Amino acid sequence: MSGMHDCGGDAAAYALGALEPREADAFREHLRECAVCRDEVQALGAVVHALPMTPRQYEVPRGLRRKVLSQVREERRAPRRRSRLGLASPLRGVLAASVAAAAAVAVVLAGVGLSAGAPATVVRARTAGITGSAQLRVVRGHAELVVRHLTPPGRGRVYEVWLQSGTAAPVSASVLFTVDASGNADVGIPGGIRHVSAVLVTPEPLGGTAKPTHAPVIIAHLA
Amino acid sequence: MFNQRRNLRESADEDLMVLVRDGDARAFEVLFDRHAGPAFSLAYRMCGSRSRAEDVIQEAFLSLWRAGARYDPSRGSVRGWILSAVHNRAVDSFRRQAARPAGSLEEAGVIDRLASAELTEVEVERRADAERLRQALSELPDEQRKVVELSYFGGFTHQQISDMLSLPAGTVKGRMRLALTKLRLSLDEAGVIP
Repeated sequence: MSGMHDCGGDAAAYALGALEPREADAFREHLRECAVCRDEVQALGAVVHALPMTPRQYEVPRGLRRKVLSQVREERRAPRRRSRLGLASPLRGVLAASVAAAAAVAVVLAGVGLSAGAPATVVRARTAGITGSAQLRVVRGHAELVVRHLTPPGRGRVYEVWLQSGTAAPVSASVLFTVDASGNADVGIPGGIRHVSAVLVTPEPLGGTAKPTHAPVIIAHLA
Repeated sequence: MFNQRRNLRESADEDLMVLVRDGDARAFEVLFDRHAGPAFSLAYRMCGSRSRAEDVIQEAFLSLWRAGARYDPSRGSVRGWILSAVHNRAVDSFRRQAARPAGSLEEAGVIDRLASAELTEVEVERRADAERLRQALSELPDEQRKVVELSYFGGFTHQQISDMLSLPAGTVKGRMRLALTKLRLSLDEAGVIP
């Protein structure tokens, strides 16, 4: 940084990411040859790297944490999602991702569980206030919700799956889904369902909720 | 299980990144809890809107989960990597939408609009360094601080700033250089940057 050597004075703008793309490319080329500019970029870059800590600090909204972590858990269970469905770009909305995740989980189940010849128990679900049909297919204590010709959850909403044990309050299965243009979806339900007495589905705001805010529109009794 | 969780909580970021690379969701959760506060605060500062900040954080952390293998410890800390990803995504979102929230560039404006938001300070151990940097920033002449804020937090290029402030491009670049040089000296003196 000593000497303030001037090669157009671009080092600070470059460190701040404020050069136009072509200028930045040219400056990168220049950096290959100019040690003085490299030193200056390094010295000023250390300041720029510290700038993110200057804003006032806030706590992370709880809903955001839940959204991100449930998405990660879904992807953890369906590791082949991106390659199978070609989702190269990052999440553009919980809704789109949930559709993809639901479809992908179904792909995994079909490939591993159902097609392996294990007998599936089919539980017909009741729908309430919506059209379409739903059934739960259970194989070795794991369930897949299969819906056909179902009414979409509505603008800005998504279907959320809940698990109920006995008379206890339903708990979120951390699964959000919507349906395709035909009203169809195959939704894998994570974890086992051996102690679950009912699988419920409610329409909820995008991102889901911690507790159901709507009466169930799909009810599948297991016991 | 409890011990495993405790061990993860005590692990270094770099060790957690190795686990994330192998698809360990619990290691990711620890990293999220450790860094999401500063990341969200940065996104909030840049976007000026809670919902846009949440979108940026969601994209950045899911990208970390999906692309953890790209983290290179020799190029800086995990926190720096995450904050850089958040910054880049916020700037990308500005450029995609060709518009910024009008109030996103002034801290006071953001705070006013978010008066009801949770203002709890987190990461007490980093507060002193952050405060020194804030102080150094606030001591810059207005015209120098403005170009830094417009470029870094606003995602504007020097040419856009030049148009916005009706200044020659060379003047804008010069102010950026003066501002960063002064900040560097202040932080050197305070021992914030080794």
